[in-house]
Parts: sequence; C-alpha cells; structure tokens
Amino acid sequence: MLPIRQRLPGESRVWLTAMGLSIGLAMVATLLGVVGWYGIGVFWPKRVIEYRVLEDGKTSQVAGVVVQRRSKIGTKGEPIEEIQLYTGNRETYGLAFRYLAVPSIKEAPTPQNILLVERVENGNLIAYPNELISLGGQTVKPDDPTFTPRLHALLEEVADRREEIYALERHEIGKISRRLNELRRSKQDSDAPAIAELEQRSTELSAKAKELRKRQNEHTLAVTLPTGEKKRYSLEKLIDAYYPNQLGTMARCGRFFANIWNFASQRPRESNTEGGIWPAIFGTFFMTILMSAAVVPFGVITAIYLREYAKQGPMVRSVRIAINNLAGVPSIVFGVFGVGFFVYFVGANIDQWFFSNKLPEPTYGTGGILWAALTLALMTVPVVIVATEEAIAAVPRGAREGSLACGASKWQTIQRIILPASVPGILTGLILAMARGAGEVAPLMLVGVVKLAPTLTIDGTWQSEDLIPFVHLHQKFMHLGFHIYDLGFQSPDSDAARPMVFATTLLLILLVLVLNLTAILMRDRLRRRFAISAF
Amino acid sequence: MPTATEPPSAPAADRFQTSRATLVVDRVMTWLIKAGGIAVILAVCGIFVFILWQILPLFQGASVSRTGELALPAGSKPMALGIDEWGEIPFVVRADGSVAFIPISGSAPTTIAIDGVGAAGASAVSYRPMTQHLAIGTGDGRLALATVGYNAAFADNVRIIVPELTSGGSFDLGEAGRPLRAIAFGDGGSHKLVGAIQDGADRPRVLAAILTETKAMAGPGKIELGARIDVTERFAGVPQTVLVDERGESLLVVTTAGDVHRFRRNDDELVLQQTFRPFADLADARIASLNWLLGDVSLVATSASGANRLFSLFYQKELDARGFAQTKEFPPLPGGAHAYAPSVRSKAFVLAGEDRLSLRYGTSAAVRWEKPGAPVDLVALNGKYTRMVTLSGDTLQLYDLDDPHPQSSFGALFSKVHYEGADAPKYQWSSSGASDDFEPKLSMVPLLFGTMKATLYAMLFSVPIALLAAIYTAEFMHPRFRTIVKPTMEIMASLPSVVLGFLAAQWLAPLIDQRVPSVMCAVVLVPLFAVVFGRIWSGMPTRVRVHIRPGWEYLAFVPLLLLAVLLAWQLGPVVERLFFTVPDGNGGQLADFRRWWTATTGASYEQRNSLIVGFMIGFAVIPIIFTIADDALSNVPKALRSGSLALGASRWQTAMGVVVPTASAGIFSALMIGLGRAIGETMIVVMATGNTGVMDWNLFNGMRTLSANIAVELPEAAKDGTLYRALFLGAMLLFLMTFIINTIAEVLRQHLREKYKTV
Repeated sequence: MLPIRQRLPGESRVWLTAMGLSIGLAMVATLLGVVGWYGIGVFWPKRVIEYRVLEDGKTSQVAGVVVQRRSKIGTKGEPIEEIQLYTGNRETYGLAFRYLAVPSIKEAPTPQNILLVERVENGNLIAYPNELISLGGQTVKPDDPTFTPRLHALLEEVADRREEIYALERHEIGKISRRLNELRRSKQDSDAPAIAELEQRSTELSAKAKELRKRQNEHTLAVTLPTGEKKRYSLEKLIDAYYPNQLGTMARCGRFFANIWNFASQRPRESNTEGGIWPAIFGTFFMTILMSAAVVPFGVITAIYLREYAKQGPMVRSVRIAINNLAGVPSIVFGVFGVGFFVYFVGANIDQWFFSNKLPEPTYGTGGILWAALTLALMTVPVVIVATEEAIAAVPRGAREGSLACGASKWQTIQRIILPASVPGILTGLILAMARGAGEVAPLMLVGVVKLAPTLTIDGTWQSEDLIPFVHLHQKFMHLGFHIYDLGFQSPDSDAARPMVFATTLLLILLVLVLNLTAILMRDRLRRRFAISAF
Repeated sequence: MPTATEPPSAPAADRFQTSRATLVVDRVMTWLIKAGGIAVILAVCGIFVFILWQILPLFQGASVSRTGELALPAGSKPMALGIDEWGEIPFVVRADGSVAFIPISGSAPTTIAIDGVGAAGASAVSYRPMTQHLAIGTGDGRLALATVGYNAAFADNVRIIVPELTSGGSFDLGEAGRPLRAIAFGDGGSHKLVGAIQDGADRPRVLAAILTETKAMAGPGKIELGARIDVTERFAGVPQTVLVDERGESLLVVTTAGDVHRFRRNDDELVLQQTFRPFADLADARIASLNWLLGDVSLVATSASGANRLFSLFYQKELDARGFAQTKEFPPLPGGAHAYAPSVRSKAFVLAGEDRLSLRYGTSAAVRWEKPGAPVDLVALNGKYTRMVTLSGDTLQLYDLDDPHPQSSFGALFSKVHYEGADAPKYQWSSSGASDDFEPKLSMVPLLFGTMKATLYAMLFSVPIALLAAIYTAEFMHPRFRTIVKPTMEIMASLPSVVLGFLAAQWLAPLIDQRVPSVMCAVVLVPLFAVVFGRIWSGMPTRVRVHIRPGWEYLAFVPLLLLAVLLAWQLGPVVERLFFTVPDGNGGQLADFRRWWTATTGASYEQRNSLIVGFMIGFAVIPIIFTIADDALSNVPKALRSGSLALGASRWQTAMGVVVPTASAGIFSALMIGLGRAIGETMIVVMATGNTGVMDWNLFNGMRTLSANIAVELPEAAKDGTLYRALFLGAMLLFLMTFIINTIAEVLRQHLREKYKTV
C-alpha cells in the first residue's frame, strides 16, 4: 500500500508563488495603512507635553506636541531615540520644530492649563494664558470662570469680522478694481464720470475696511511662553483657542470632526502649510466635471461610430488597436500636446481674435482650467471609448434585430434599445475616466495648475473674458494632486507641510478609491447580467 | 376606429412607409455620428502629427535667400564690414579712416570719420561684432579705438535707427611713421590688450600694448597706454597675423610657416604658453585664416590647402595647463577662407572660400548652408542671426537667413559631442547655465539612459512579484478569494502616482536611508522563508497539513512575511557591522553601508536613489502585469489543466508545465504593457530622484528620465526655442516607445483571445 504521506513535487515552490501574492497585498495594505494612520492622526487633537530637558549641563523647558519618533544611528554607531516636537511660537523661537534626544529628558508632565491657539500666521501658539485685556482696560484672568466663554465669544466675533473684511476687499473692492481696469483700458472719455464714481466708491469701501480692521485690535491676550517669556497678542491674528490637555474623549471627538471640517472648507494659509484645502477640492471637482462633459459625448459618439457605422475590417481593427494603445501613452505626452496645441496655438489665436486689447498679457494663451480639462479629456477618451464599445457589443443581437424587424431606423434602434442598455457600461467608463483624471498631475503641471489661486474658477464676479457668466474658464486653478506635489516637494518648510500633505493624500486616495470601487461594483453587476468573456 | 357594425376599413396604402421625420433624423444622426467619430479619431492621430510638426525644425538646415544688392558709394578701399543687430544699416570701414553707413532702405548713406586716424589712413582694421568695437592701426604706427553704436528711436511704432561712432582714443603704438599691417584688440575691462604687426626695418615686428582704464564716477573712464612689449624675438618665424581674445588675456601670433604662438598676459608681461601647428599633418601647413568663435575659447582655422578645423582651449594633461588642441574637423573649404564672420548668438560662422560661401556650425562640425560662387571680399552677420551681408568689389549683397536651431542636428541630439571646454566628447544634458554665452547641451542620450535605468530597476522588482502572484491567483488560490484579490489589485493600480512619489520621497527614502543592509536581508530572507517553510510543510503528515487548506497559503504566509521582515530589520545592523565597515580615522571600524559603498565602488550614494524609485514604480506596475497575466492564465482552457491533473501531475507541475507555457504569449504581453507604463512614469521620478543626468547603473544614485525632464523643464522653456523643441522630441520618443510596445502587446492579446474564445 502506498504511504499516505506523499511529498507532492513542487509544493515548496507553490509557497513561493503564495509569497508573491502576500507581498503584493501587504504592499497595498502597508501603503494605505501608512497614509491612513498619518492622515487621520493629523486631525486627532494631541496632548501638549512639557519637557524638562538636561542638555550640556543646562536644564531647559520646552512644550509641544509630539510629531514623530525616530531612531538615529549616532556617531559611534549606537541607536539614539529621538522625538520631534512641534513647539509652535515660530516667531519667538525662530523654528517651530525641535528634536529632543530621549535620554536627555528628565521630566515630562502634562500641564492642564496650557493653551493651544491657532493663528493666522506663524503657526500655533502654545503658552500659558495670563489675562485677556479688552479695550478700556478690563482684564479677565484664566481662573475666572468667564474667561473661556469670553475668549471664545471674542474670537468668534473677530472671525466674523475677518470674513467681512475679506468679502469687502476681495469681492466688492476687487470687482470695482476690475471694472476700473476695463474702463481705463478702453480709453474712452465718456467713461470719465463712471470712473470717478467707481473710484469714490472704492475709497469709501477701503475706509470701511480700515475701520473694521481697527476694531479687530481691540482685545489682547497676554501669555507666558513655556520658556518663561511674557508676550501679548492681539486677537486679530488669532483664530481659535482651546486647552488640549483638558479635553475629554467626547470633546476630542468633537474637535476631531471640527478639524476635518475646517480642513475641507477653509482656504490655505502660510504658503499652503496651514488652513484648509477647499480651493483644491473645488478645483479638482470642477475640472473633473468639465473633463467629463467633454469626454462623454465624444467618447460615446466615437464608440457608436466604430461599432455601428464603420465598416468592420482591418482598418477599423487597427483604429481600435491604436485607440487602445493611446490609453497606455504616458500622460506627460498629453500634457506636452496640451501646452503646444491648446495653450500656445488655440489659446494664442483666441487672444488675437477676441482679447487683443489685453495683449501682451495672455487671457486664454496661458494655462487655465479649460485647457486642463480638454487635455485630460483627450487623455481619458480611450477609456470611455473602450468601455462604451464593450457595453454596446454586449447588447444581445436579438434585441437589435428585433428592433429593426419592428421597423425602427438605425438611429431609433441605437437611441431606444442600445444606448439605454449600455448606460451602465458608459457610466463605468466615465467613472474610470474620472478616477484617472482626478489622479493625474503630470499633464496638469504644464497646462494650468498653480500652487495658490487667489480666486475660485466659479465665483460671484462676471468677468469680460467669460464665455459663460460667472465661470472663469481662463483662470488657473488648484488641484489636490498638485497640492500634494507642491507641499511634499517644493514647500519651504517641509516639517510644517507634512501633516497637510498626509491629510491631502488621504483625501485624494479616498476620492480615487470611492470612484474605483463604484466602477468595479457596477462592472461586476454588469458582468453577471450579460456574462461576457473576460475583459 | 371601426365599431362592431361598420365593416373594417381598408388598410392605409402607405402603412409600410417610414415617417419622413424618422428618415430625416436618421440621416442627420448618421452624419453627425460619422463626423464626430472621425473627428475624434483624427484628433487622436493629431497628437502624433502635432508633436512631429513641432520637432521637424530641429533637423532642418539653414535657408539663406538673397534679397537685394546695394551699391557702395565711391570712396577708398573697404577694409572691414559690419551690420547692426536688426540688419538694416550695414557699414564699411574705409582705408581713409572713415566709416560709411549705408541703409538698405535706400536712404542717404552717412559717413563718419574716426578720431585719431588722420591723414595716414587706416592700414589695419579689426572689428569685434560682439561688442562692436573697432581697432584701427594707422599708416603711421598709431592705434585708434572706436565703438559703433546704433540709436533706435520709435515714432508711430516705426523704428528709426541712427548710427553713431564713439571714439575710444588714439595711442602711439610702435615706431612712429611705419604702418601697422595687422591689429587685434581685446577689452578685459580695467586692462585691455592690443596686438599689432608693424613693418620693421628688416622684418615685421610684433608689438603688444596693455591699456588701462580708470573708471570715472559718471561717463566713460580714461584709457591710458601702459606697458608696450615687443615680442618679435620670442618666437621663430615671420608673423602673418595676430589675435587677441575678448578678455584681453591672450595674444596669438600666426606665422607664415603655419605656427601659432600663444602668449598669456601676466600683469604687465606676456609669457609664451604654447606653440602649436594646426595643420602639421598636411603637406602645406600654411594657415589661410584663423578667427575666434563666439566666446573666444575656440579658433576656426582654415589652411591654404583647403582643410578647416576647430581648435579649443581646454585642460591638457601633457601641458598640465589649458592649451589649444584640435576638437573638430570640418568638410574642406578649397583654398582656405578669404573672409570670416561669426554669429554673436551661437557657434555659427560664415566662411568665404575661393569658390563658395559656407555657413558652418562649430559644435556640430556641420555645414548648414553653402553656395558656390565667386569669392567675396568681406562678410558680416547681424546680431539677431537673421541677415547676412557680403561685399564683392563695390556691391553689397544682402541675404535673409532663416536658421532658428543652428546647434541642433541628429548628431547633436544623439551622439557624443565635444563641447567647448571639455576634454573629450560626451553625452550631456544641461539646458541652462549662469552666463550669457552658455551653450545649451541637449543630448537625448542621458535621458534615454535614465529612462532605461528606472525601467530596468522597476521591472527587476515588479516582474517576479507580479508573475508569482498571478500564477498563484490563477492556479492555486481558492476561487472565493478572487472577489477580494482582484479588486485589491485594481485599487493598487488606481493609486495616483503623485501619492506614490510623495511616499517614496518623504517616507520610504528616510526609512531606508540608513537601513540598506536590512533591505538586503529582507530580499534574501523572505523567499528563503517561503521555500523552507513550503518544504517543511509539504513533508508534514496530512493531519497537520489540513490546517492550511490548499488555496489558503497566501493568508498563512502573511505572519511568516511579517516575521521575516522583522528579522531582517533586526539583522541589518548586525550584517552591516560584519561586512560593511570603513575605517573611521581613529583606528577603529565604522559600520556604515553608505560610506562603504562610496569607498568600495567609487560611486556616489544618495538618499533618493534608484532603489526607492524602482520599488515605487514597481508598485505602480505590479497590478498591471498581475491583471493581464492573471487574465491570460485564467483563459487557458480548463480541459488542459484537468487533463494534466488526471494524468497524475501535481498542481505545481501542471501550472509550470502546461498552463504557463500555453499562456506565455499573454504573460509576455503583460510584461510589455507593464514596461510601457514604467517607461512613461513621471511623478514618481520627479519626486523621488535627484533628477541628475548621470549615466551609470549605480543602484544608489538617481537618474533623469525623459518624462521627468519634460515635466521639470517645459514650463520654463521659451516657445519655439531649441529647448522647447528638444523637449517635444523627448515626448515623441516616449510616445513612439510606448506605442510600439503597447501595439505588440495588444496584437498578441487579440491573437490569444481569438485562440481561446470562451463564449
């Protein structure tokens, strides 16, 4: 009788292949885990710890939030543990980040009454509050129970007024300046009274803004820094304040969601290292919509043409292969084409024909959201064509023939039978195209993305260069992917940019993941319905 | 509608006719769809056509066309010819010491006399087009300096140019009364050098003088004659002509025998540095002409026997100093050159030979344009390199010159070029430099090499993992996991490369920087664990083996993977201390892989290197190879697999012996498509390498790829300039490479699908 225990040949090598799959899955998990961990960690409010450090015989005090731990290999080859501390108070200390060697830390208490204040510039303030001074001399001390409510109320008032000033200066006065520029450029004498009136209005509004700014400085917060210095800060530059070490779990969750909301809805400050990324979200979103609006009609029409109208033969087969391959061409080539053709050729000609009075300053002859959308549309059109073609091919011949037998014309068959049945496939293609377009950065670098765009591409102003009112297709825009590149690669302060970059990366990955999973689910449902061969 | 009592009405005669509206709509939509479809297909082809159109000018030569003639007004013999930067007012310097400006528009010529020449007249004239300085040697041994200027005024958008002449002073140079036969001048700012050949009592003498300029607070400074040196005795031979470089540092004396003696200025003295014979190998070594190229670092030499060579100044080992040596050989110019004009924008120059006029380019040693014809006396190029003017007798011939990319040619872009100042030909890409006369070096080869390097390391990492994973998923994995594994791999494919690049640069690079030995241990340990565990496990009795059912191995391996990685991480420093140590200067040994690498291989080590880039591009490429290979393997007919198993083969034998060979075309096509993706990867390379154009295979330094180069340089390139078009050429190369690779892969796939149609 044969022994039951048989060594099957090659089993150990099967484990080698299993290793391949494990590594692949582990890589994905690690990457998503790293981004998720660091990304979410950005929003979770952390404790502020005060360190008493003994260095070179001197004791010093420094307080901050622990950002990361690392182990360095010291000069003698021994590993040294270090922690990187965010100490804030950049304008006082010179830098906002410090490395502390763990062995040199003597004590690390968590002081209850240390305050963390978010500011308009120079990062956060980490200090012990002394008193809140109002115009007129009244002071409130921190141990007074009305201190915190009063501080929050005043900060809210300052924030509202800040928004008012911003709206006044950016929108109102900005609108007037733009109109003044147009009138002055047209050099017509009949506009002189209008110009005078606008100038006067502009002066009035500026005076109002100045008045509001003066009121921002009415209250001051006096603090003692952890290193012992005493400083005073006008509330004008402060955004929000809280005691990080006094937060309970519920309060921390609340602050967590508040941080996420701020991140998604605010404008960036401090060369993109603080604040939010709302313009980038909007820019990505709007550009993707424009791209989809361009890609769907053309992709669907071409697919219908290839499938239904063109004579099937070697010619059409080679066209199909060519279009398939275009999906594999590097995106930078499309960017190059976008710059050369759309920006420098089409855009320059549009400027010549319609905007020659503004030359040599280019309107459409430079990068903008319209050209970016068209470039990406060209890049993703093959995806939509392929998906639509597969969807059209999957419609059973019986349905088609039945429709023709009932006397419908070719177009009626397409319109009433084939297209409705293909809509899920078209949508799948569209979603895949959107996912690809949202993630590509290389072509955008060349055709119209900027690090910081002062205005959104849709806002309340109606500019003379707009083809559609209120939609400024010639403006440059911000994009999530480019934001990551700019922050991660070109930021002057890479330590400060780190949290923003991870948070933005997390958001972009979530966006792309959601789009792709939707596409995958739809495709699976389709496949089950029509049971086609493997794609 | 007929009721029950009425008889049924006759059917409508036209009930089988389609409604007109339907027909019209059908026709319109047909037309629309055909137009739209063809338009999109054309647009897609248009990309290729557009890029091609942008790069063609790089490979074109110069086109020169004659536009007219001007008669020179009567006067004494013309000795030098020049033209303003716009090409509208050429001038001649006459032997009587005056400069005549002759506008080509036909308006009246202006004549201005040069101060300091006087009745003796000009016996030698040297004109430097770059600075528009004139140096005149008079018939009685004096030097007069002048600068030609053009004042451009605009009236009603029309440009009016008024020529003027500014005097720089006149100085006694040699023996009074004897004419100067040749003159050369170089303005080095505070010190200026003049060289001249003067008729002497018995033989011509070569004189040099150093002028100093004291700067005034406002206005031009005062130029004074300083030291005067006679160098005739310091060399052998009869002097033929002299040259001085634009910095006033060197004096070159050309003798009738064909020698060139180079003197270097050392404060107020001239020291003989080098003597060389440009045409030493020819029977007739006489030099017909010797002139500077833009920048005054290279010399264009023609011999009386028709050879044309370029000599450049660079460090020579034999001299242990900088010296002139031949770098280029041009096509011959019969009879040598009678006249010469350099371009002030590039290394282009015009030579007027015995039987032709030739426009040549220094760095590429190419003839850009040539016109046979009678010899001309003088020739000049304008500052914008758009017009050329020649003088024959008393007629000025005017030419329009169209040569937007003189420095570019197939050789300049793809072969080794010996650039000025370098000691050997090499491949180099550096598109911008600090000084104005920097010559852009635009070779595609380092970029192609960089692309190959990145692709090679990416494929080296990704192909084993992807193929092993695909084989496992298609052959051994339990089918229920397909719904998890396939989407996970698709998610891996959809991650934007900017995210991968960012993580590579900011997270992976610092992590691995000091831990390369750990990575090496991991590369060894993980497969080792897999194979060893597999061997042990497959030898276990069945009641033990049921715990890991077939198809679940990959899950069971995960803890082993983690263990192996952890072990490798800890083992890394140990290995480093054992094998990768360098002496640390205090007698002991320091364990540091990075320093060990630099010390042992001589190559550099950078934090952002090919290892990181290969890993991350591999990350992007693995899911692509995996998906297509998995498809190919899954499409192999089940009958083949079942048959093999039925005959007693183990699952490994079936997989490797039957399924994989059958699907080999599909696997190959998967590799090709992955290769295409790796070639075009931009963001990861931009963010995770140093973007340095190195050309070595060193794993621990960066590279510059075609795609990253375009992304970084195109925003700054001036439209339609040479750099702009060179970047488009890079895009075209990328396009062609990926298109060809993808077409081969696609054709293979279609072929395979036809072979194994499952529906």
